[in-house]
Amino acid sequence: MRLQFGLALLAAMVAASWVSHAQDIRLNDDSPVKKPHLVLLTDGVSVKPGTEQVVELRFRVDPGYHINSHSPMDDLLIPTTLKFVPGAVKVEGTEYPQGEIIKLTGNGEGLDVYQGEFKVQMRLVAPRGFSTMTGTVRYQACDNSACFPPKTLAVRVAVTAK
Amino acid sequence: MFVLLAMLAAGVINHRRRQAAMQQSQVELLKTRNGMDAASSAMTALGSPDPESDLRGKPAPAFTLVDLSGKKVSLADYKGKPVVIDFWATYCAPCKLEMPWFEEFTAKYKSQGLVVLGIDQDDAVSKDAIAQAAKRTGVTYPILMPDKTISGNYKLGDYLPQTFFVDKNGMIVEEVIGGRAKDEIEADVKKISE
Repeated sequence: MRLQFGLALLAAMVAASWVSHAQDIRLNDDSPVKKPHLVLLTDGVSVKPGTEQVVELRFRVDPGYHINSHSPMDDLLIPTTLKFVPGAVKVEGTEYPQGEIIKLTGNGEGLDVYQGEFKVQMRLVAPRGFSTMTGTVRYQACDNSACFPPKTLAVRVAVTAK
Repeated sequence: MFVLLAMLAAGVINHRRRQAAMQQSQVELLKTRNGMDAASSAMTALGSPDPESDLRGKPAPAFTLVDLSGKKVSLADYKGKPVVIDFWATYCAPCKLEMPWFEEFTAKYKSQGLVVLGIDQDDAVSKDAIAQAAKRTGVTYPILMPDKTISGNYKLGDYLPQTFFVDKNGMIVEEVIGGRAKDEIEADVKKISE
């Protein structure tokens, strides 16, 4: 009986080890390469209805990565650009923050980038009630040794005007 | 029963050791990828490819592509010569940092017949813009436009640069993901130029 229990326990250990290994494999599949490297932290804003209001949208770039600012120093680099689909909420203007200048070792030219959190200011006019703004952010992320293709991130912001 | 318990204990210890080693490797990976100050640190390549996409020790996949002037260029044209195949894009600053070094190496290792081929990986960028970006880096080696198969044949990932060092026998000796320091690149150039 004890022997049977021991064998069952051993089998359970082997199975647990296999499951653990399989989970590790799945973790590896979720590699940083497949991540967008950028997230919109603001999911909703509150404004007064019918008048132009300034709101801030907070974004965060994953640690260790950067994206080009809205005004990269090289015209061949992809600027970070936020666009909303025209709808009930009118976007009267968009103000991007200044980027930080970083340099890759060995390269005299700097890169104008956003790292960590940054805020984009938007001037909105919203009708009374609840609206949803949908749009996209186009950007291109790198770390200090590799770059990822330009990406387009879908964004959605709830606007409460009352 | 004692033997069984000993086996169980050994199994548990081995499992924990393996987990600890894997966690450590994850931590090291995170340190490499995320812990760097991009403003001040030297470039550190993401490293070698994962085993599934590792082409080292295998023949370099053949290709025939066109350069920026429309001329056909085949890897087979350079049979018997060491070849560096560098995948890059106009948006990739680390790529453009390395390109002048590749140009320098083509001159330095000219007597060994070193050839560098740059293969552009931009999407929806005009040839003019690609040519402009290449010109700014000062390179004169062929810049080739990709076809639909080359990314798959070279098992490219989602990041640039990716560089393949092919020896005189057409074998891939080294494959590197991400930008690196100049001396590290030159060490691989030497490997294929011997």
